[in-house]
Amino acid sequence: MYLDHAATTPVDPRVAAAMSRCLTADGVFGNPGSTAHDYGEAAGNLVETARLQVARAVGAEAADVIFTSGATEADNLAILGAAEYYRGAGRHVVTARTEHEAVLDTCRELERRGFEVTYLKPDRRGAIGVDQVEAALRSDTVLVSLMHVNNETGVIADIEAVAAACARRGVRLHVDAAQSVGKLALGFTRAGIDYLALSAHKAYGPKGVGALLVSRRRGAQLKPLQFGGGQERGLRSGTVPTHQVVGMGLAFEIAAASTAADVQRLTVLRDRLWAGLEAQGGALRNGAPELCVPHVLNVSFEGVEGESLLAAVSPFIAVSRGSACASAHGEPSYVLRALGRSDQLAQSSLRFSLGTPSTQQHVDAAIAAVGRALRHLRKLGGA
Amino acid sequence: MKYNALTRHYFEATAAAGILEGPGVGRGASGSRALGTWVQFDVAAARGRVVAARFLAFGCPHTIAISAWVAESAVGGVLEPSLPADIESLREQFAVPVEKLGRLLTVEDAWSAAVVAARALAGAPEG
Repeated sequence: MYLDHAATTPVDPRVAAAMSRCLTADGVFGNPGSTAHDYGEAAGNLVETARLQVARAVGAEAADVIFTSGATEADNLAILGAAEYYRGAGRHVVTARTEHEAVLDTCRELERRGFEVTYLKPDRRGAIGVDQVEAALRSDTVLVSLMHVNNETGVIADIEAVAAACARRGVRLHVDAAQSVGKLALGFTRAGIDYLALSAHKAYGPKGVGALLVSRRRGAQLKPLQFGGGQERGLRSGTVPTHQVVGMGLAFEIAAASTAADVQRLTVLRDRLWAGLEAQGGALRNGAPELCVPHVLNVSFEGVEGESLLAAVSPFIAVSRGSACASAHGEPSYVLRALGRSDQLAQSSLRFSLGTPSTQQHVDAAIAAVGRALRHLRKLGGA
Repeated sequence: MKYNALTRHYFEATAAAGILEGPGVGRGASGSRALGTWVQFDVAAARGRVVAARFLAFGCPHTIAISAWVAESAVGGVLEPSLPADIESLREQFAVPVEKLGRLLTVEDAWSAAVVAARALAGAPEG
């Protein structure tokens, strides 16, 4: 039973069908850059349709969309590219301790390149306040990078307020929105965001494709990180994979159309799940409920060890400890530690993330599986 | 993380879990819940042999599984501080990653402490 949709989602069958039509000789297999013939032109048209679909899903303009291999590449391109472009104006960057490693590791690379990075600490609700951001801005700050929805806790950042604060100080804002599409309405242009990283596979699209939105209207600039062909406005050279971006475009169109209904349904399921887990005793919710997206529920459990908890529930439900990227390390979640949880509680947390296929039966089975695991492990541990 | 069949078996089927009470039961513990691994053994012995053993364990599946195996395997054997199998053999049998070696030593320390306590209660010499 799959309850790990924040890690990845299954590809929507309509998306898979559209992608498969771009692969073989009887389909649109041309190079979208080969504008001299019909094959290339047909592929190019599909790419531009996908660009428009992605843009519409997040309130952007099609010309803002730069296709990448995923959100990690988009984060790298935004942070390294913007910092290097604006290096002459300053070498200070602001981010948060609770960002995805795609952002944190890239910021560490910036430090190796001579930049200074301020890592903001969230409050106990898991939120970064706009006042914290404003207080961290300096005359030499060139970039702020914050995520829209935290991938471990589901806490939503007030990106519009942060964007306004950055705009007042003339600082560029990058937002990692990998977890947002299909769960939250997002207005890229209206909010005044400069760069936005997106991932297809979190929204029932394929893995291996994402996008970085670079606001033309706001005049946001970047230095490219790779060269050879000048595709994607010269910011991301390399043949655009038609099937991948077609999949992303359709997935985002479907997600945007179903957001409101999904939010309502998932909120009911998430609340039922929390009520059932809380009733087991010793369950602590991570991230303030009023700030969280409907599909993510992160809970620390007292009196059990995290690896054993996951091992005990894994035959019945697929959930994770923290992000998929970080959980391989087996260390306590740095995100939950930043929220003030002890090492033990940070380590004994589970992230449940619901999705389109999730049902009340899935939620009830998850509650039962966790309940059995807690009783077993607490008895073994003498709790 | 994947666990082999032996680890899964002893992680899930923990017949030897719990405590022993009564005169002559030696109890030993090692580790710390706050640090992520804690193991306790209770050992009852007669005429230099283990007649019953129970364990409690807070830790990863390998720690729990090996503690369960030790408590089960020791019964009927000679009461001695060393585990019924050596650490390297246990690491191989239970496919314990090398970075978890310290947790096996916690199991060994707890068992050793329980045996020492049981011997002391029986008036037997330590060693």
